[in-house]
Amino acid sequence: MLIFLILGAPIIFAAGAFFAGRNKFFGAINSAGYFVLFVAGSLLFWDSLSSDGRGPYFGFIYIDALSAFFIFTISMAVFAAALYSCGYINNQTGQGRMTRDKARLYYILFNLFCLSMFFVPAVNNLGMLWVAVEMTTLISAFLVGFYNSKESVEAAWKYIIICSVGIIFALLGTILFSYAFSLSGGSASLNWQDMAEAAGRMDRNILKTAFIFILVGYGTKAGLAPMHTWLPDAHSQAVAPASALLSGVLLKTAVYAILRFGVITVNGAGFAYFGRLMVLFGLISLAVSCGFILIQKDLKRLLAYSSIEHIGIIAVGFGLGTPLSMAAAILHIFNHAATKSLMFFGAGNLVDKYRTHNMRLIRGASAVMPFTGFMLLLGVFALAGMPPFSIFISEMLVLLSAFLKGAYAVVFLMLGFVTVIFAALVYHFGRMIFGPAPKGMPAESEPLSIKLAFLFLFIQICILGIAPLFMGKELVWIAQRLFRL
Amino acid sequence: MHGIILAAVLISTYLMAIAKRMPALIRSFRYQSFCLFLSTFIIALAERRPGLYIIAALIFALKVCLIPYLLYRIIGRIKVKQDIGLFINPQMSLFCALVFTYLSWLVAGYLSAPEGYPKTEMLTAAFFMVSQGMFLMIFRKTALAQIIGLLTMENGLFLLASAVSGGMPFFVEIAVFFDVFMSVLIMGFFVYRINNLFTHIDVHKLSRLKR
Repeated sequence: MLIFLILGAPIIFAAGAFFAGRNKFFGAINSAGYFVLFVAGSLLFWDSLSSDGRGPYFGFIYIDALSAFFIFTISMAVFAAALYSCGYINNQTGQGRMTRDKARLYYILFNLFCLSMFFVPAVNNLGMLWVAVEMTTLISAFLVGFYNSKESVEAAWKYIIICSVGIIFALLGTILFSYAFSLSGGSASLNWQDMAEAAGRMDRNILKTAFIFILVGYGTKAGLAPMHTWLPDAHSQAVAPASALLSGVLLKTAVYAILRFGVITVNGAGFAYFGRLMVLFGLISLAVSCGFILIQKDLKRLLAYSSIEHIGIIAVGFGLGTPLSMAAAILHIFNHAATKSLMFFGAGNLVDKYRTHNMRLIRGASAVMPFTGFMLLLGVFALAGMPPFSIFISEMLVLLSAFLKGAYAVVFLMLGFVTVIFAALVYHFGRMIFGPAPKGMPAESEPLSIKLAFLFLFIQICILGIAPLFMGKELVWIAQRLFRL
Repeated sequence: MHGIILAAVLISTYLMAIAKRMPALIRSFRYQSFCLFLSTFIIALAERRPGLYIIAALIFALKVCLIPYLLYRIIGRIKVKQDIGLFINPQMSLFCALVFTYLSWLVAGYLSAPEGYPKTEMLTAAFFMVSQGMFLMIFRKTALAQIIGLLTMENGLFLLASAVSGGMPFFVEIAVFFDVFMSVLIMGFFVYRINNLFTHIDVHKLSRLKR
């Protein structure tokens, strides 16, 4: 029943924003609401680990451990974004850069966007899954084009067109899956549980063709290279908290869709096909993002390319297919959501203060905004994969499982790319954080809610960086529960 | 009967390939959607499924009437010249369309079941519409032509779904319709904005964001 709280609350918040969104205190109420959802999401995940799945309700809402995990991750990132929005939007309206009406529109869109993202893992019908993913695109396009500048409208147009075409291919793949299902004697129900059970009887060739379309289609949305071209534009132009959500969890909802179809493909056509494709696209993503991160000048685009890198690591993790690498990829989904949100919040603060995306013009962040500067410094090491933080653990586990599996080429390539990206990230951020502050720019303290958002995410990063050292077995157990290995 | 409709679908799609101006493109999209409506309606008559009647009615209402009307309205409102901006001239486009038809036929042959259902012709038409929509999106310059391309791809998928499994489940089909309609509305909204900001809707000139 928790799921109805999670799906219903954003509608209520959106309605609340419609009536009270102009109010200065709406942001605080909104974040309090999303704190409740975060608790509900955690409970749902906890509950799903011990049960065999809840539902179906109304025939298309079904929660098993995998979907509960994604809902939990989304609720975490959304809570942080709501908390950050509170201070960020108030700052913008306070400085007269955003009218109160715009702020109201922002909160309505924010809540609808969250609703659409919660829907993706909650539905068990693959057609409805498609509809939910397309809804996330349509709503977030407004958040990308929110500032109505030439750049942001261009980014929104590219985003909506490229993702719509991608998603059309995903629909083609979905139809082919249902074709394979009906050939094997099933009805045309598109129900995931039924299809996963019948997968063994399906035509292997059709499954393989269909999965290509799914991977290209949802892969476009997930930001896998070479279908990633919308991603840096959209992420760099969106409102700062929306950038964090796009990068932190929107991409993951598309990964979720790929996984659902992946399970059917693995059951029907064997693991090798799925695994090779995932590893291939993952490595291409790593290579592409590595090059662009090195030469990047724009702060938010840098972070966007880093998202492509991490999606690549996640794809490699799933593609390797051992229980350990699956656990690592799942962990990485959560870790990346937390870390990348933190980085986008920091970037949002810097862009707001310096009024530019150009990294050459941003200097001395630690002097101008001490708290943000400090958090960004910790965050960039967390993002690049330094030991006490969580991304280190999950990247290490992916590498370790590739090593244990004997996929030395994968280890070699991935290690190379990750090392270069580490150096590039630390170099770029080092130049922004340190150095003398620009003349005439007073030091400034951030609002409480922004600080809280940073601390909330930072605690997640630290806990998950240390805890897996003591509970490796539990992690693998959770991964096994997720995929019923 | 069904064969004639499929031929009409193909012809309307060829008309799209040679259309040079926006109204012509929208008109051929309208013909294409009307053929889909007829095809669905005939299947509904034959199989007597109430859901199919509703879907046929929705195709007629949305794709034959409402969406073309909205697109015409957009052209009227933005007052740019109505060329759709061709990268490839109509003759060459038509030649490409013929090549796509042949390729679609090959793919359809690979996928269709030995018993002869789904029919290879229907699969061919479906794949051809998807590839032609993709072609329009890539080789036409204006934002509106891209919307039509997307809608053509979606029409193709509709035909594919009805060819392979007698259509998607009813409420999924309804949700997909709603979704397509929403996306046309939202894209139209962004076309307005692009036109306001850039005073043109040539998407290949949108190049402020690089790398």
